[in-house]
Formats: sequence, C-alpha cells, structure tokens
Amino acid sequence: MTTNVESGERKIVTFSLGDRTFGIDMRALIEIREWDEPTPLPRVPSYIKGVANLRGTVIPIVGLAERLGWEASVPHARSCILVVNIGGKQAGFLVDEVADIVAIKDSEIQPAPDIDIDETNVIAGLVQVATRTQDAHDSDGGTMVLLLDLDALSVTRQMELAA
Amino acid sequence: MSDELDEIQAIFFEECSEGLAAAEAGLSAMADGDTSSETIASVFRAVHSIKGGSGAFGHGALLAFSHRFENVLDEVRAGRIPASAGVVKVMLSAFDILSDHVTAAQDASAPPVDEAMLATLDDILATKGGCADGADTPAPASEPEADPFGFTPVTAIVDELDPFGFEPVSVSLDDFDAPAPESADWTVRFGPSRDAMANGGEPMLVIRELERLGGRVIGIDSSALPPLRELDPEDSYIVWTLAVPGAVDQGDINECFDFVAPDSTIEILRAAGEASVSAFENADPVEVIEPVAQAPEPVQTTAPVLTLVDNKPDVPVGKAGGEKTGDQGAQTIRVDLAKLDLLLNLVSELVIRNSILTDRLSPADQQRVELPELARLTRQIQDNVMSLRAQPIKQAFSRVPRMLRDLSAETGKQINLETTGETTEVDKGVIEKIGDPLTHMIRNAADHGLEGAEERIAAGKSPTGTIKLSAEQRGARIYVRVQDDGRGINRERVKAKAIEKGIIAADAVLTDEEIDQLICAPGFSTAETISNISGRGVGMDVVRSNVEALGGRVEIQSVPGRGTTFTMILPLTLAILDGMVVRLAGQRFVLPLASVVESVRPEPGQVQSVSPTSEVIELRGNYLPVKRLTDIFGLQGVRFRKPEDSLVIVVESDSAGHVGLMVDTIDDRREVVIKSLDQNLHPIRGLGGATILGDGSIALILDLEALVASTTPSTPKHTLKGLAA
Repeated sequence: MTTNVESGERKIVTFSLGDRTFGIDMRALIEIREWDEPTPLPRVPSYIKGVANLRGTVIPIVGLAERLGWEASVPHARSCILVVNIGGKQAGFLVDEVADIVAIKDSEIQPAPDIDIDETNVIAGLVQVATRTQDAHDSDGGTMVLLLDLDALSVTRQMELAA
Repeated sequence: MSDELDEIQAIFFEECSEGLAAAEAGLSAMADGDTSSETIASVFRAVHSIKGGSGAFGHGALLAFSHRFENVLDEVRAGRIPASAGVVKVMLSAFDILSDHVTAAQDASAPPVDEAMLATLDDILATKGGCADGADTPAPASEPEADPFGFTPVTAIVDELDPFGFEPVSVSLDDFDAPAPESADWTVRFGPSRDAMANGGEPMLVIRELERLGGRVIGIDSSALPPLRELDPEDSYIVWTLAVPGAVDQGDINECFDFVAPDSTIEILRAAGEASVSAFENADPVEVIEPVAQAPEPVQTTAPVLTLVDNKPDVPVGKAGGEKTGDQGAQTIRVDLAKLDLLLNLVSELVIRNSILTDRLSPADQQRVELPELARLTRQIQDNVMSLRAQPIKQAFSRVPRMLRDLSAETGKQINLETTGETTEVDKGVIEKIGDPLTHMIRNAADHGLEGAEERIAAGKSPTGTIKLSAEQRGARIYVRVQDDGRGINRERVKAKAIEKGIIAADAVLTDEEIDQLICAPGFSTAETISNISGRGVGMDVVRSNVEALGGRVEIQSVPGRGTTFTMILPLTLAILDGMVVRLAGQRFVLPLASVVESVRPEPGQVQSVSPTSEVIELRGNYLPVKRLTDIFGLQGVRFRKPEDSLVIVVESDSAGHVGLMVDTIDDRREVVIKSLDQNLHPIRGLGGATILGDGSIALILDLEALVASTTPSTPKHTLKGLAA
C-alpha cells in the first residue's frame, strides 16, 4: 500500500472477516459485487475459490480469510466480493461484510507487531477508527482496523508458487 | 521524458516497417512491369518518410543511405531515369540494404555495409540509369518540363468527373512534343473545406505562402456564400483564385498545400491548356488525373478544369485501377490492441446481458420487436469489433519476396513467386504467429522442393522454378498454401531416413500420406548436407508445432516430379474456438472440437480397468486409454459414475494418440471466445483458458495435450499421429 505523502491522508475501505475488521486502500478498489458462486478451478490452492466473470474479463476469486490464515469464511447473504487491482492484475476478495469508507491520517497508523505468519507481513499497520453505529456509546472509542498491504499479499505470486 | 521519446521512436520504427512493406510492394510491382506514377510515387514516399524520421531520431547511417536512395527514386519519379528492369533490380537490392539499415537502427547494431550499393546508386544517378541497363534506350535528354512528378501514361476515365464533356483519351506524356511554354502562369484555385477550418487551418497562411512565391490573388469566388441567416460560421464558402508565375516549380506550389485538410478544393493548372488537378490528402498520394491535352484549341482562356475533390477509391483513376488507389487512400488510425480487446470484452458482455434480459422478460414482452432488434444490433457491433482485429494477410506475405531473393542468390536457383489472396483478412494475432512457419515453408520449398536449373531442364521443365503462395478463407478457417513445382517428395528416401533415425520401425508399412507426414516429425531432415538455408532438421517440425499451437494443422500433398504443396489450415481468429461444451460433475468444460474424433456411449463391460487407477475402452478391436476428468481435476463431491451412464469422447492428441475422456454429457457445440487465465491469474496446466457462456457463467477450456500428457506417462507414445490408432 503506497503512502500518500503529500496529503498525509487517505481513504480506506473497511470490511469484516469473522469478528475482525480489515482495511484496504480505496484506490485499489475497483468495485464491490454481490457474492456469486465462482467457477472452481482445478489444481489451485484452496483459498482460490475459482474464477468469475467481471464484464468479460476472467478474474480469480480469493477467499481472503483463508489466504490470511484464518478460518475460511462461509458465504452468507451479506458476503461481498471486493474487486481490487493489485499491480495491474485484478482479483476478487471474498469478505464477510463491507463496513465503511473512512479517511485516516498516515500519522494515525501504528506499526503492526510481527504477526506470526510464515511470510512477509501482509498487515501494513493498525489504525483505530470510530465505530459508526447508532449506539456508538462504546467506551473504547473505536475499532481496530488491520490495514492490508495488497502488494505484499501478492495473491498472484503465491498462486504461481503454488502452481 | 526518455520514455516518451522511446515511445515516439517505437512509432517511428513501426512506421518504418510499414514504409518498407509499401516500398517493397511498389518495387515488386515495378519489377513486374507496373511503372505507373502511383507505384513509383508510393516507393518514393515510403523511402522519403523513413529518411525524415531517421533524421529526427539521429540514425545517421540510415539517414545517409535513405537520402541517396531517395535521390535516385526522385529521378525515376521525375522520369529522368527510366524505370528499366536494370534500374528496378538495383533498387530492389538497395531496398534490401535499406531494411537492414532500419533493423540496425532499431537494434542499435552496426549498420550494414552499403558502400558498393551507394556507388551503384550514384552511378545510376550519373548515367541516368544507363549503367544499370545499357541496352535500354537512353533517357530523353530533357523530359517535358511539366512533368516534375513523374507523370507516366495513365488512362484517365473522366466520364464521371468531367464537366466539360471531353472524350476519354489515353494520354502519354511521352507524346508531348511541345512542352508548355515556360512563361505560362499557373492558375491556382483554393477553397478550404469545412474540415480544414475545423482543423484550425488558416487559409490566409496558404495564400501568403503562395504570394511569397510571386502569386497574386486574381479572383475570389464567393458565389457559394449563403444569405447571412443561413451562414454557418464554421463552414467555408470562399474559393480564391491565384495567379502564380510560370517559372515557379509545381512542387513548390504543391508544398503550400501540404498541411491542408483533405477534400479541400485545390486545383493547380497552367493557363495554356494543361491542367493538373490534384486532390490532396495529407501525407498521402498526390492523385493526378492527366490532363486531356489535345483539345485542338484552348477552350477560351480558361484551362479545362477537372475537379476531383474527393478521393473515393471507387472512382477509377489511372490504369493502376481502383484497388491500389483505394489502398493508399484508405484512412487509418492506430489503436492499441489492448483497447480493442477491452472493447471486445465489453461487447461480448453486452450480448450476454441482452440474452439474460430476454430470458427474464415475460413471453409477451419477448415478442416485442425492440428486443430482437436490440439483439441484432448488439451482434452487429460484436461482429464489427471482431473485424477490427482482422488485417490483410499481406503483412505476413510481405517479407517473402525478399527472402526468396536472398534464397535465390544463395542457392543459385531461379525462383519465381506468385502470390494470390493476399487481401484475405485474418486476425492480427494469427498474422503475427504464422511468420515463422511461413518462413520455414518457403525455405523448405526453395531448398528441398525446387531443383536446380539443369535438373529442371533435364526434367523438361522451365529452368525457373515457381513457388505459389496463396491464402483463402473457407468458413472459419484460413488456408495458407506454399506450392512448388519442384521434384516432389522422394518417398523412398524419406522412409529410409526415418528408419535410419529410428522414427519408424524398419518393417513399418506406411501409406504415401504417412510418409509425407514424416517430414514434419521431430528431428527429421533429408538434406544431404546441412545447408545455411534449411536442413537443420527442425524446419517442418517447427511448422507443425507452431501451427498446431494456433489450433491449426498442416497438410502435405506431393506428386513426384510435379511438386509439393504445404497447406497450413488455421483458425480465422485466435480469440474464437470451435468447441464442444461438456458437463462434468455439474460443471461445464469446453473441448476444442478440432481434437474430437468421436463420442461413444459405452456398453456395460466396454470400459475395463487395467489397474486400480487406469481404464481402457474397447473400440472396434482397439483398446484406448480412458481418462476420467473428475480424477484429473480432483473434482470434489462426485460419486463414482458407471461408465455406461457416461459418455466417452475420443480425442486425438499429439503426444498420446487417441485417448478417451469420460464426461457426463455433451451440452452443446458452439463457438466460444477464449479468455486467458493468466491475465489476472496464471496459466493452469490442463486448461487452455476460460470462456463466458451465454448465461454469463464461466466454462473452462481444456488443453487436451497437457491433460493427456500429464496424466498418461505410461501410455505408449506414438511418434506420429495418424499412425496411432
């Protein structure tokens, strides 16, 4: 995720996987689609759910939770696909629910501790955003958002290794 | 910054290759006797623009050579050097060096040795072509002055154009024994078109330029000017008439109009009864209708005026006919292929959405005329977008003449090339990929197919061998043929060689066709010695594998003593596949129809296990391996299906011969648009891509070669298909 040094501020899309909230840079987002069962592919890692038709282009659908090492998400009514652009390649992420679009300041991002995944840290940082619910009386003042580094996530590279 | 420059350079080299193709086409036409002014001018223009660009990008060697080449062409164009066979031959060689120069500039490698060629070109310049072709009649000492553009005889069909009712006459400038008097002034009429105004063209600049040459405005025709209330401020209504001193070179006058938009009215004529009328097109041919010169007396004081304002290809102009003219006049734009592909994607999606919409409407609504109308329009858009990728196969053929000239020089064989069907349109991707196979086929024909002159004479043939190169479209396939009239395939020798190389068994009984096919076997070459040209034993093997990679096949026909024909049968486009949609465990897959041999519903017991993991099917006494796609792909949740509830599709593969694939059912046979998986993912072994079906869902396209190869290591391999079953 590149840092917008000029403004020191950027917009992120937040979404949930299980009971955690993640965020990705708004600029990488192409669109949000309803979940639709993709066409399964043979001989790919299990986190690749298959391929889907994005306006005539074939894009892979990635189970993001599984890719990040969490328990695989089970698609439900509010499941969405976030279509993102990673280094010119498009991919769809299966997420449990899209939450919000929020503006954050770079200064608010805290470095992520070494998370024990046996690869490059895919969490670019942690940021706290105010919870925007009707009853926002939570005393903790906000939700922890794990910012994803899409480039480090390198879905395609992982897939190439796996192939 | 430098990126930008690189980009412009890339465009320059692209234009160079187009220019080279145009120059070569022109020179070849000249060699065949077409020395019309259009042809010569097309060569000149091509070399000229290469020169211009090379100067701008600092390719000194290329600039120097193209400049000297251009000098000669200019003289030929002006008719001061005759376009004799000798001169054309020199120019062809000069062209070869020019293309080497372009390649050198592009690769930043050492420029080719051109001193000898430059000397020859200079000799031609000095002797007016005499040295290149001594036997030719020397060029006339002075050509008619009015001919700085190399107007050569043309038959002007002026019926449709001629408001003065002149009879069509063929005119030859050589007949002009009385050149126009030096003193006759030029009369120039200039009326900018609406387009010219829209492009920001400023007529005053043109007029000032003409005034600088000594011209003066002698009349303004404002008759077209409408009443004020109908006046369109963006249109142009005025035509200026200027008188320019006769001493001014017509070329200088023409230059004033270099940047005037096409379809403007531009007439340049001599007052004394000659008119040359030009319809200008930016950076495009100066289309010239030869004047009808022998009106016994000049009609009044005005010279005949032919207005040829629009350069429609269908207007017959000159003896070279409409085809050439249309070719050059065609307006083109450069478009990034990726943009076309995106457009194609979007249009396909439109088609799909359309059919989904139709399905969801009530039957009553489906009957409405709007819906089929919409569907028809979308289909038309789709066809049109597909056709945008189509290019004439000429692009692939264009390098053949040069290759044959080189081959002819190397082998000492006289080779005559006949080309037909070069306007056949094929997908650009196909054109790019048939270059190599075509090269191999031509080399093969020249080296192995054709005999030397003595052998040909002994066989009672003309000493010059002929290679026919042709392309034609049949249905969704394109046939590219290379036919030679040489000795044909020596089947005895081919078979002996194949046995020697262990390609076939010594006691194999083969039909003539099977022996011919052996030429394409990997590692096969019958050349006694490995020559520079072919005979490395990879040639025809490469042809076959390249063509098959494109979804095509190669056919060989040979008649001993009469010649051999190689035919590449290719799909018209790489984007479309003729496929069979099969269903397997609820999922749909597409099999390339070209590989399907037959489909069988097995009787109980016809499919038997030969090991816990492999099965065979008995088919007319032969046992073929049967693969279950469910096993190969590890599709989950599939209960074991009895063979008699399935279908076995027998497919033909290169690596494993005939193999049966077990599927649940056959859904459909349809043409599918191939989408790559690696665009957003990576290639997956066993899959050739994906496609989007009519309902918007995705079906995976099977790559049979990879499927059977990766899963049948123990299958007895047949070296050649056709020998297998």
